[in-house]
Amino acid sequence: MPSFLRRLIAPTRTLPVVSSETIALRLPDGSEVTVLRARHPRARRIKISVSERGVRLTLPMRASLRAADAFLHAHRDWIAMQLPRWNAANEVAPFGRDSKTIPLRGEDIPLLWETGRYARARAHDGGVAIALPASASDVSARRALKEFYLAEARADIGRWLPNYLPGFPRAPTSIRVRPLSSLWGSLSARDALSLDLALVLGKPAAFEYVLVHELCHLVHRNHARAFWREVEARGQDWRAQRDYLHDEGAGLKSSLRRLVAP
Amino acid sequence: MFFRNLTLFRFPASLDLSHLETHLADCALKPAGPLEMSSRGFVSPFGRALRQAQDDREVLSHRVGQCIWLTIGGEERLLPSVVVNDAAGKKIAEAEQREGRKLGGRARKRIKDEIVIDLLPRAFVRPLRTDAYLDLEHGFIAVDTSSRKQAENVVSEVRRALGSFPALPLNAETSPRGVLTGWIAGEAMPDGVILGDECELKDAADRGAIVKCQRQELQGEEIGKHLESGKQATRLALMLDDHVSFVLGEDLVVRKLKFLDGAVDQLESTERESVHAELDARFALMSGELKRLFGMLEKAFKLSRAEA
Repeated sequence: MPSFLRRLIAPTRTLPVVSSETIALRLPDGSEVTVLRARHPRARRIKISVSERGVRLTLPMRASLRAADAFLHAHRDWIAMQLPRWNAANEVAPFGRDSKTIPLRGEDIPLLWETGRYARARAHDGGVAIALPASASDVSARRALKEFYLAEARADIGRWLPNYLPGFPRAPTSIRVRPLSSLWGSLSARDALSLDLALVLGKPAAFEYVLVHELCHLVHRNHARAFWREVEARGQDWRAQRDYLHDEGAGLKSSLRRLVAP
Repeated sequence: MFFRNLTLFRFPASLDLSHLETHLADCALKPAGPLEMSSRGFVSPFGRALRQAQDDREVLSHRVGQCIWLTIGGEERLLPSVVVNDAAGKKIAEAEQREGRKLGGRARKRIKDEIVIDLLPRAFVRPLRTDAYLDLEHGFIAVDTSSRKQAENVVSEVRRALGSFPALPLNAETSPRGVLTGWIAGEAMPDGVILGDECELKDAADRGAIVKCQRQELQGEEIGKHLESGKQATRLALMLDDHVSFVLGEDLVVRKLKFLDGAVDQLESTERESVHAELDARFALMSGELKRLFGMLEKAFKLSRAEA
């Protein structure tokens, strides 16, 4: 059937709604934790994740509950090992007017609070100055800080991108930087590039690697050996950067949520 | 012919576009066939009237110095799905009555196919046209639309014609919201730029309050109160040198672009003998204003360059 006919006739595909519930899990030491069990339409396998938001068990729409619970029980030791790390992260005070430093490009830089006519964050003397009207809330400070991080991320991209673009068959159609929940970046079928805002908090080399990684998908839309050869050809110490993101990445994402979540 | 919106992209100024006209001719618009839903291609920027008046080969671009004017044309058949479903429903009902049984999914689909094939050649054809301006000196392309998707489609057409066209959306190395809010709050504006009388302010929280003002004094107390409560400007009306007025968004899309008397007066002072000469003069004037506008945006928002 011609594609235009299929487009006119085909019924629209609707994604099923995400359903979730909380369950209690007893850990080997006898303590009990709450687990969020959620079915997700895009999930392809059963997955456990632990973050500052708690323990989450994600399963595909049609996966068996019994299999999911068995998987959860089989990984109780691992969950018990991860939890103290995230409990420590939860003890950090939320971002507000008492905060003295913020992370940027792998370092903690000083934060200066000012009174201003409108909310804004700007680079100031090796640190950041956030100006707020007396009546503005912490939400305004977070929004201003998010705008600052976005500008810094775009500045980094603007500096790196022209060096790499001539080596690729085409440029991305758009570049969007925003907080992503689990990915560091993605390249859509229409060549739209998305990057995680948390990258600007970490080492610049890791951010540059993710940019190059996604650009290399313009050549190979997979992670085959030929793809990694493309990454390596661009002088990226990709293994070190990948290890860094693997070790520190969850912490970076959690920091970003703490700093800019509304 | 004056552009009313600008969605901007940057490309390397060193890009060689000397054979552009040949490439465009290969991708000229072909009328949509009787069973085609749509077609896209390049058409003459001077429009249909002038194209018919000229006997020689159609010109698909117009160049004044380092500035090029292109037009993407298109034809789209209008066949609403509600019409197809209605006609198919009637035919299916007739068939069910005739055969005394309910038709299966495959038979229903076949009937719908037949209806579409029957209706498509009779469907209205809607012509489309989008202009684009390429500045080879500063390396930017401005598409006359405020829709990002439509602008990307135009850039894709140029890419298809040239084989390679590394155009990137504008990348501001500063916060556009912060800059626009600062201008309302009284911070220094670029030379020649003054505030208009329209703005949109958004609360810091996601899904927070939105205030849209028109015909409003922007440096008054009312707007000041909104800024003090933490709102930020996401759209702002501006005027450049009394020549152009526009509304600039935080997405750096220029909307409601108007060429004011200060610029258009220059056109009215001279008489031209043909439509072609008139359009040529208008394009020359517009390209000068767009250059200045882009220069201002580049400086104020620290726009990244597309080449090292």
